[in-house]
Amino acid sequence: MKSTGKRDRLQDVHDIVSQCDRCGTCLPVCPLFGVKDVEAASARGKNNIARALAQGGLDATPDVLAAVNFCLLCRACVDTCPSKVKTDEAMMAVRQYFADATGGAGIKYKALGSVLKNRTMVKLASGALKVMKRVGINRLAPYGMAPSEFTREEYLARFAGPAALGAAAPASPATLSDNTKVAYFYGCGMKMMFPEAAKQTVAILSTLTEPKLVDNVCCGLPHLAHGQKEDFLALAKENIRLYAEADVVVSECASCSSMLKHTAQYLAGDPEWADRANAFSRKVMGFTEYLVKAGYKPRQKVDATITFHEPCHLGRGQGIKKQPRELLQAASNYVEMPGADTCCGGAGTFHMDYPEIAGVVLDKKRQNIEKTGAAIVVTECPVCLVQMAKAAEKSGKFRAMHISQVL
Amino acid sequence: MLNKEIKEKLRAIVGTEHVLDANLDRFGYSYDSSFVPLLPANKPDVVVRPRTTAEVAAVMALANEHSIPVTPRGAASGRTGGSIPLAGGISLALDRMTSIVEFDEKNMMVTVEAGVRTIDLYNFGAERGLFYPPDPASWKFSTIGGNIAENAGGMRAVKYGVTTNYVMGLEVVLADGTVIHTGGKAIKNVTGYDLTSLFTGSEGTLGVITKAILRLIPMPKLRNTLQLMFPSLDDACNTIHKMLQSGVIPAAAELMDKTCIQAVARHRKMDIDPAIEACVVIEIDADDTEALAKQSKQIEEIAKSFYVVEVRIAASPQEAEDIWAIRRGLSSAVGAMAPNRLGEDISVPRDAFPEIVRRIRGISEKYRLPIAVYGHAGDGNIHPSVLCDLSNEEEAARVHQAVDEIFAAALAVGGTLSGEHGIGITKRDYIVSALGEGGVRTLKAIKQALDPKGILNPGKIWN
Ligand SMILES: C[C@@H](O)C(=O)O
Repeated sequence: MKSTGKRDRLQDVHDIVSQCDRCGTCLPVCPLFGVKDVEAASARGKNNIARALAQGGLDATPDVLAAVNFCLLCRACVDTCPSKVKTDEAMMAVRQYFADATGGAGIKYKALGSVLKNRTMVKLASGALKVMKRVGINRLAPYGMAPSEFTREEYLARFAGPAALGAAAPASPATLSDNTKVAYFYGCGMKMMFPEAAKQTVAILSTLTEPKLVDNVCCGLPHLAHGQKEDFLALAKENIRLYAEADVVVSECASCSSMLKHTAQYLAGDPEWADRANAFSRKVMGFTEYLVKAGYKPRQKVDATITFHEPCHLGRGQGIKKQPRELLQAASNYVEMPGADTCCGGAGTFHMDYPEIAGVVLDKKRQNIEKTGAAIVVTECPVCLVQMAKAAEKSGKFRAMHISQVL
Repeated sequence: MLNKEIKEKLRAIVGTEHVLDANLDRFGYSYDSSFVPLLPANKPDVVVRPRTTAEVAAVMALANEHSIPVTPRGAASGRTGGSIPLAGGISLALDRMTSIVEFDEKNMMVTVEAGVRTIDLYNFGAERGLFYPPDPASWKFSTIGGNIAENAGGMRAVKYGVTTNYVMGLEVVLADGTVIHTGGKAIKNVTGYDLTSLFTGSEGTLGVITKAILRLIPMPKLRNTLQLMFPSLDDACNTIHKMLQSGVIPAAAELMDKTCIQAVARHRKMDIDPAIEACVVIEIDADDTEALAKQSKQIEEIAKSFYVVEVRIAASPQEAEDIWAIRRGLSSAVGAMAPNRLGEDISVPRDAFPEIVRRIRGISEKYRLPIAVYGHAGDGNIHPSVLCDLSNEEEAARVHQAVDEIFAAALAVGGTLSGEHGIGITKRDYIVSALGEGGVRTLKAIKQALDPKGILNPGKIWN
């Protein structure tokens, strides 16, 4: 059973990567190839490593695993590819293949995975941090993100919320016309890192509807990305159960909403769950996607210049590009930054493995933010937000906030 | 296999981090964008990434001394296996040589290093009101060194010619490490053999191109893109033919058949009328709106006389770019439609274009194989792509017969094997039928004179 599974996994990989004709269109858009310009670092390089692995031309050695881990899963390559080769899915499938073959994900990923799987631990962020310290990833904090110089408290201080923009905003006049049951999905990153921003999300949702607060579990993306598919499936099923009553599920974490929208495809082969998963994935909405659909009008127009970092999971992951910009235009002096949709390097656990490369990727982002002269950069994903905060810290010329804090 | 001592010497020349010999790195430099199978991998023993001409010269001197094969490489976006290190040895990756060395405004020329990407060269000119026209489909990622070594063409060849028409001079490192300079900025130059033209299109077999002097022309002030849909492939061809005969010379005139249109529709949400058999994409340029509008009107009228069913004129530069992005990605999109694709690059006299398209359709029917047809209808360069599954032996035999017949048809109408991709590995079996024994012997004599040890890109162009 298990070995068939493994073979299938490689067959899945092969089905994807054999569509690559190695033309090279993806070379200039891969943020990692932009920093480390050797073939194996590019999307083309990794797809062909995966193809050779699937066809028996390369063995499943640690360097092959390292190569597939050297991917931000940002989908910039997929977007530009003439054949839309899904490099991100291929990379995740190869990681899973390795996890199956070696009896599990690497210790780091496992430790992080269990923290995120455990509801209580996620709730008690300090507890989570302690566990991470024990397994030696304390520098990186939840989701492998926060640098050592930031503690959770410092983050909270830094993310002072809309007060930083001036007077408190009046309630939005927006109303919701139907009886849609809207539920909120509280992602781990928001919970552990940006609970203040999450409060703003709920406050905004409350001007439109009565959002149902659910004691949800992790969306499972970290597990899926690092070869813990069984855990991912368990989490997915739990969330499907928890949101059975809701008509719409909203998350202000683009990674979560993207993962939840994609959940159905991972349960498609499971007769017991396929239909429910499908129904679930269809009701998930990104935060700004929901706001625009519900006709939300920002509470205020602040006199600040704001720019937007487009999370990979939002733009490429869900095609949500117009909505945040539309809302920001109404809420501020909005300026678009060059390369707004280029990955910030935060992706998943990438910088646990490659801190220096992630640093260079982020530095390019910082320079692009500075070029706009914006006072604030906002984004719609806690993973990106940690990166934006790091960039802000280094720059000193702008601050970083979640989009829910300025709408 | 290269011994440790040689690797140490290579590291001393280009720096330790620019010599790659890990298995995965060697694998990464084993392929290009051709249909040469990925496996068994043609891995180099070592990848060497020089930054300067002096480093290239030192690498070549060392390689020549020890008879080590050297295969130059730009972005490995070539379509015929030119940068595949067939004999192992050194993959000489020139993609770190990215400087624009000089801009000579008065002579309207730039001197660039081999690793400069074609798009960067184009943009450099465009910022100064100047135009570098050659635009192979790969121009956003291919390097100018690779373009010159393959004498790449592109969409704009119909009006502006191909790479060689812009190369004024070259800096070349010969097989033994000698650095020579060919040509120069003088427009008239008959001093000795025309070595610039010889190295242009030499596919890395005669020397390593390290720098080039390229001429630029004034940038046309206005541009637009038209997309025409036809219910018949013949009428699409006829439209282009008639256009050129009536003196309407578009910057580019590209044709795609129904299979290509389907390949595109597969990945983009597009409503395509099933009655459409061919699509023609045209770029026009001019210096004033009147001239542009006139061309556009003339083209529309000619198209109408050939029963065009849809004329779309790009409403914005973004829309034009979207249309061209589809065209540039076509080869890959078509390739992804079948387990295997043999993509060819035949080139025929312009007036034979409708005839060759008809013959290819005949071959497709005869061998029961889908053959997608697209290409540069304006200049007679066409890319028939045989879509197939080579793991099926019976089918593979048919495929090879079909390819043989495509080449035979091209030669029969007065055309040739390759318009812009080069011969590389994938077309070398056919070189004798195209050039004759005497012709190939002449190529070999030149090769022998310049690279007596045969270390430069061995195994290419002929068997
Ligand atoms: C294949 C390449 O030459 C093109 O024209 O698309």
